[in-house]
Amino acid sequence: MFRRDALDEAQYRMDVRTWLEANLPVALRGRTTRPSPLELMPWYHTLSRKGWIAPHWPRQYGGMGATLNEQIIMAEELARIGAPHLPVQGLNHIGPILMEFGTAAQKAQHLPPIIAGTVIWAQGYSEPGAGSDLASLSTRATLEGDHFVVQGHKIWTTWAHHSDWMFALVRTDPRAQPRQAGISFLLVDLRSPGIRISPIKTIAGDDEFSEVFLDEVIVPAENLVGKLNDGWRIANALLGHERLATSNPQFSLTALERIKTMARASGIIADPAFQDRLAAASINVTALSAMFSHAVELTNHEKSLGPESSVIKIFGSELLQALNDLLIEAAGGHALADRPIATDFGEVDVATPFLQSRRVTIYGGSSEIQRNVLARRVLDLPT
Amino acid sequence: MDLYLTSEQALLRDSAAKFIEAAGPKAARGFRAQDPSFSAPRLRHAGELGWLGILVPGAAGGLGLGLTELALVLEQAGRGLVCEPIGLAAISAAALGQGRTPHPVLDRAMTGAALIVPAFQESAHGDDPLAPRTHVAGEDGALRLTGKKMFVCADGADGFLVNARGRDGPALCYVARNAPGCTLSRTQTVEGRKLATLTLTDAPADLIPPHSSSRNAVDALHNLVLLALSSELLGVMEKANEITLDYLRLRKQFGKPIGSFQALQHQAANIYVRIEATRSLVFQIAANNDAFCIDPATAIALKAKASEDAMIVTEACIQLHGAIGFTDEHDIGLYLKRAMLLSALFGNAAAQRRRYIAAADLTA
Repeated sequence: MFRRDALDEAQYRMDVRTWLEANLPVALRGRTTRPSPLELMPWYHTLSRKGWIAPHWPRQYGGMGATLNEQIIMAEELARIGAPHLPVQGLNHIGPILMEFGTAAQKAQHLPPIIAGTVIWAQGYSEPGAGSDLASLSTRATLEGDHFVVQGHKIWTTWAHHSDWMFALVRTDPRAQPRQAGISFLLVDLRSPGIRISPIKTIAGDDEFSEVFLDEVIVPAENLVGKLNDGWRIANALLGHERLATSNPQFSLTALERIKTMARASGIIADPAFQDRLAAASINVTALSAMFSHAVELTNHEKSLGPESSVIKIFGSELLQALNDLLIEAAGGHALADRPIATDFGEVDVATPFLQSRRVTIYGGSSEIQRNVLARRVLDLPT
Repeated sequence: MDLYLTSEQALLRDSAAKFIEAAGPKAARGFRAQDPSFSAPRLRHAGELGWLGILVPGAAGGLGLGLTELALVLEQAGRGLVCEPIGLAAISAAALGQGRTPHPVLDRAMTGAALIVPAFQESAHGDDPLAPRTHVAGEDGALRLTGKKMFVCADGADGFLVNARGRDGPALCYVARNAPGCTLSRTQTVEGRKLATLTLTDAPADLIPPHSSSRNAVDALHNLVLLALSSELLGVMEKANEITLDYLRLRKQFGKPIGSFQALQHQAANIYVRIEATRSLVFQIAANNDAFCIDPATAIALKAKASEDAMIVTEACIQLHGAIGFTDEHDIGLYLKRAMLLSALFGNAAAQRRRYIAAADLTA
């Protein structure tokens, strides 16, 4: 990496490494398909009991309040051992949003279960008619006395069928102009009557996605986050944090290790043309780590990243795809196997992570939308 | 993305920005094919501002600052197409001042009265600096250098820091330009300045000892070179990008500013992503490394990335200008040529990637 540990950091790294070696179940290491929440939650609970589940959360909410370097070391060590990626909607999305915008009651109700891993969250933003043009969303929430009645259809909702709660953007003023001014942010208990959840199979063969149908679902008015019709601002306020979290170099570091293993196994590691591509990819992983540290450093100094965070989303997601292209190349004819390939260096899964990686330039705002954001809001180009 | 700077660092950056206001494309144009291709008084001015001794400890008369400060000044130098070789001079001064007893030429190197530059390259593609063919023989106090160095920024130089194979491994040596057995043959570049081949035949030289925190004096200076050139490349990219964004806002076709077209907006976004990647690398490496002990693999990674990005960015800037960008009259071409020069020096992107494979232990 681009930096060396200070003495106390080196000790911290060794502590993390030793603890992970002793506590992460072998069956969960180096997995390329993201295990389902059912399989993952025991590991989530282990991390939670250790106090390491939320390095980036402040201590008052049960986080580690870790320094930037500790966060990075933790990410690097998780990548090194091949730890699986945990459900992040609670830790990275709704948790930080509630810390900033939630009422005391909302924080008290929802933050501890996220830390403990007793509640799993889903994000209800996209709709069949509102993808990149998210502000056109039409799921209606009508305030009737002390509750909202919600009617509509959410889609691409990760793991909704394993989740307990969903935070959703809903239309509360259909006549508002601009359309963004008629959107509110609601917390929906997925066990409410009127909710039907239907999984969608992806090209990677998993069913991480779901559709969520909401038919006259009653949501208590106290589940509104922030003010009525202020949901767009709330959802966007922490987009920088979200883009940052999804660009954690852990994913690319894991991919790089997988490529090296596959390339050694297939023998292409000795090919100079392949080595050049591997060097280029590895250099870009170093650059991503630097960008991540730079961004976290700014965030720690309370300079909000805002639209600048599109840079790291573009770079991180496109790099992850480039790495998976290289993985396919390293595997050659093995690339098509529908299960992990047994090699002298351990099992390597190729097709699945490659196929999985196609989503990263689409979710959380596609690369094209990110470029629009940069052009207009950072580079100040005309419309 | 903004940098998080101390107020002293911000002041330094601003004073560097002021210095380059007097440089810029017009001055760079004027120095093309001149001898030397920079202003000697301005190099001394940089010396007066302390920049040539920026890494030299206070006890030896320098500013005793770190890599972040060096990078901030050189980023500005790149932005302004500054022709005075501030970066190479400053890191050479750092090397001259790193031993227990500074080299006698240090004082003049820090004031800009003498220009000392590193001369490491022995082939077109950047070599392993720790395995030079140039060799040094003789006893301490009577060392002799023999070998050949290429692509040396010898314009106006009074001496060179040469890496050579010695009895105890790679050694860093100082040789004066007017030393016997030291000859230069110069080639004009398209960028404007000349590069030279330095031939050394039994030339008398002084050994430059390593800094107490270095593994090796050659390794330490080489890593500094890579960081210095990359910082300048960053500035080159930034300014070329700003010029291009201005053009995209002003130039109209089809009745609209061309910057309103999505195809061009996405190109501009791509340029910006590249610049930010290099910027993060430069300043994260600067913030996390001791000046005399930079991790070689990360320095190589940085030079690879900066060299590649600067070429792609300045090429794209010409494309976004259209035909006017292809003219000598327009400044944007000067940024491409500066990127060509700095990318090639001490090994271009492909050469760095080749070295990175071993340095980062990628095939192990």
